Amino acid sequence: MSETKTLLLELHCEEIPARFLKPLVADFEKAFLDFAGQNQVLPGGGRLSSSYSPRKLAWKVEGLLAAQPDQVETQVGPPQRMCLDDKGEPTQTGRKFAEKWGIDFAAIRFEQPAGKKEPCAVVTLTKQGRPTLDLLAEALPRLVSGLHVPKAMRWGTSEFTFVRPIRNILCLFGADVVPFELDGVKASSSTWGHRLHHMKHPEPVAIPAIDAYEPELEKAGILVSFDRRRAAIAAQMKALAAEVGGRVVEDEALLDTLAEIVEYPSVVRGQFPAEFMALPKEVLVTSLKEHQKSFCIEDERGELLPYFLAAANRPDDPEGFIKSGNEWVLKARLYDARFFFEEDLRTPLMDRLDSLSHLTFHRELGSYAEKTARIAAIASELAGRLGLDAEQALSAARASKCDLRTLMVGEFPELQGIMGGEYLRREHAPDPVWKAVKEQYQPIAAEAPIPGTDLGGVLALADKLDTLVGCFAIGQIPSGSKDPLALRRAGAGIVRILWEKGWSAVGPLELCRMALKPLGERASRPESDTLEALESFFRDRVSYQLEVAGYAGAVRRSALPVGWADLADLRGRCEALSAFAEDARFASLGQSAKRIANILKDEVPSDDLDAAKLQEAEEKVLAEHLSRLEASTDHAALLAGLAELSGPLEDFFTAVMVKCEDPSLRGARLSLLHRLRRTFLRVADFSAWQ
Amino acid sequence: MHVQELILRLQRYWADRGCLVGQPYDVEKGAGTMNPLTFFGALGTKPWNVGYVEPSRRPGDGRYGENPFRLYKHHQFQVILKPSPAAVQDMYIASLEAMGIDLSKHDLRFEEDNWESPTLGAWGVGWQVVLDGMEITQFTYFQQVGGVDCRPVTAELTYGIERICMFLTGIDNIFDLTWGEVKTDQGVFPIKYGEVRQREEFELSAYSFEHADLEFHWRLFNDFEKEGWRLVSEFGHYLSAYEQALKMSHAFNVLDARGAVSTTERPGIIKRVRDLACACGKAYLANEAAKLSQEEKAEVAR
Repeated sequence: MSETKTLLLELHCEEIPARFLKPLVADFEKAFLDFAGQNQVLPGGGRLSSSYSPRKLAWKVEGLLAAQPDQVETQVGPPQRMCLDDKGEPTQTGRKFAEKWGIDFAAIRFEQPAGKKEPCAVVTLTKQGRPTLDLLAEALPRLVSGLHVPKAMRWGTSEFTFVRPIRNILCLFGADVVPFELDGVKASSSTWGHRLHHMKHPEPVAIPAIDAYEPELEKAGILVSFDRRRAAIAAQMKALAAEVGGRVVEDEALLDTLAEIVEYPSVVRGQFPAEFMALPKEVLVTSLKEHQKSFCIEDERGELLPYFLAAANRPDDPEGFIKSGNEWVLKARLYDARFFFEEDLRTPLMDRLDSLSHLTFHRELGSYAEKTARIAAIASELAGRLGLDAEQALSAARASKCDLRTLMVGEFPELQGIMGGEYLRREHAPDPVWKAVKEQYQPIAAEAPIPGTDLGGVLALADKLDTLVGCFAIGQIPSGSKDPLALRRAGAGIVRILWEKGWSAVGPLELCRMALKPLGERASRPESDTLEALESFFRDRVSYQLEVAGYAGAVRRSALPVGWADLADLRGRCEALSAFAEDARFASLGQSAKRIANILKDEVPSDDLDAAKLQEAEEKVLAEHLSRLEASTDHAALLAGLAELSGPLEDFFTAVMVKCEDPSLRGARLSLLHRLRRTFLRVADFSAWQ
Repeated sequence: MHVQELILRLQRYWADRGCLVGQPYDVEKGAGTMNPLTFFGALGTKPWNVGYVEPSRRPGDGRYGENPFRLYKHHQFQVILKPSPAAVQDMYIASLEAMGIDLSKHDLRFEEDNWESPTLGAWGVGWQVVLDGMEITQFTYFQQVGGVDCRPVTAELTYGIERICMFLTGIDNIFDLTWGEVKTDQGVFPIKYGEVRQREEFELSAYSFEHADLEFHWRLFNDFEKEGWRLVSEFGHYLSAYEQALKMSHAFNVLDARGAVSTTERPGIIKRVRDLACACGKAYLANEAAKLSQEEKAEVAR
């Protein structure tokens, strides 16, 4: 094995936005692997590892060859007879060929290469592999400037663009510095540590060897590993929360962000005045998170404690300034939140209804006042169909968007719905009404819960349906990766609510028709087009729901074609079918169902079966089974009966020729199969079982 | 630490680092960026460093002088450096120490915050600088101003004077800050921020939220626009026209605070201010280019 070395590259920048760190590191990895592959310097793929901190993007590549392998290539020239004259001396042509490849004529061999009819001049050239150091010096500036930077910037007088100004480059290949330059910054063997470190040590941090990179940086106050920073923050938070008898209100995304905005973390626990505990929990959690990137602490019952946890970008808080500073700022924030809350409470929520006409929902679908009217129409009709209180549905719907006009939602858009519900609760609205308003945007994610109350489910359906059907009715249909209004998520939410609530009175398409009515003139596409597009959209959503619910492929494939207008029924059939998913008899049943489908393809069998006409024992047995099956009322019993049918069906096909000469016998046999098939289709299309 | 002392220290610090000390511009505005020293200073290629205080009016933020943390009018200390120096972050950090912040005891972070001013056709990328959890400065590398790419790039530092002063003193009510001390033959009288400004906060909040005449402000908005376009298109006068754009912007802010601008018409209104501001920027650049070619001609003639 040839000699291998390790590459270390670190770009030291001004603070890089947290959200770009990970994508940038991954983008470079991909570009580097392409480069290494093309130049054959990374046999076996090597080992690539990356780290990053707010000011650093760093990559380590182990297993790089010190030099490219030599490249051996064979060149075929003119035929031998043209290169040598009668006396065996080189001709003009022969000499030119040698010259072209820079070799002595004597080095030419004459042999017959594959595909040639006669011997030709052949040379074998060995191109020496280039030192990897040179390749890197050429490639790295190109790879770095080629990175995909979503919001690139210029600085100073240069035209160079990057995510933030690059202030230092550390680049070692083994013991050597890779000699290259980017926008006037020369690669070197040193870098910079934490700003606190350099207050006492103005000189850069020397990295004597690649292995010393992480430890030297740690000495200079930077934990360059994201994972280590994240783990440290999580552990400190847990301990600090436990000290005051609570636990951290989990938020994985916020934890990621914190680990991305500090170079050496420590967590401080602060306290806020108990007077602010009167604010709704959601307001406190959101205010702490959005403004201060801080975590809340709750007790074992989920009640908040008057503490918060903030991550600082240094290992300690020597004078307590960080704690008191964060407390001070938080107090100002909460003061503002309370101002919004109290101001909002001064006006009854519903007083904002009229002003919704000034708030655009969608250019083509009108204002939020119009949307509210449509939601109200859908929600009250739907509530009636489900046997819920239509009056309450109407008042919840009319109130649903009013909180978009409150100061609190203006400040924290993610509190929409939640604030409306809170304000209504404080105005003593009936429980089902304020709860419905609070739950109207659920489920907010694939894993998140659906509305807990039935009226909440109704309102959530009405809101999502109006958006979804409205967009389809003006031709805004999601395609490929384009789904700016998250219509797929709305569709999945609708299916999940129906599915989990077990509501069988209405199906997705019927709901769509319900939502299409109040759109009136706003719909610009023909109704039949809209419904057709919605049907195929919802078939995909329902199919996806079956997958998420974990049913086997055979169950999903055979249950769905029978129908999905009633999701509760579909769910019941899937549950019943799942008991037989591994049953070999059902595989046989599937084969038979396919045969039946083929036989009946061009026939018009009668619904009336005259069993007396049947002659063979095998068909008479089938007819008996049929009458038992037709009498069974629930899915499970029917399926158990069908399982028993697989044997008799096989026997039937072995013994009986369906399409016989005698027309009346033939008619009876076709009717028998037709009635069997109709019975199958009450639960599943078994021809799709496999 | 007194409010005026903070301003004096910042002026001294930046003057020592090669900045002109500018003055606030006497037209109502929402931010120091709108001062012509920045708007026109950031355009073109001429080297330009300047620092100044800017009283900044945000009618929607008015709280009648009752909220201890919010103001209708706050003070920004604005520094622009063109081209942005390589050590700009270090220079900024040293300015914090010049204000009396011992950074060895505090937590300093630069968190992404990309600044944008749709009324000025300007945007940049940068950070909010956070000290012990509090945002104390907006730090921006201008990429565009007046719809024109910045070449070279200007760095803009905007310090929030009141906030920093509260932070340094630990006082949690703006109006309790000390503005400065008045010394007379009779003695020394410390003057509170509230004594200087609280009544103004009350009246201007009441004006923005209750008393401002909407029709009058819509008329102002339209008339300033007309006047501005007349100045810039007939005479190529970008400074007097730019003042009209500033006045439009303030009239819009008053209307907005009264809730008189619907979300649908908002972008269109902002665009009308931006169009005028951009026209002023272009007129300024055209004038600079003409000046340059005249100088070149004079050079050749000599």
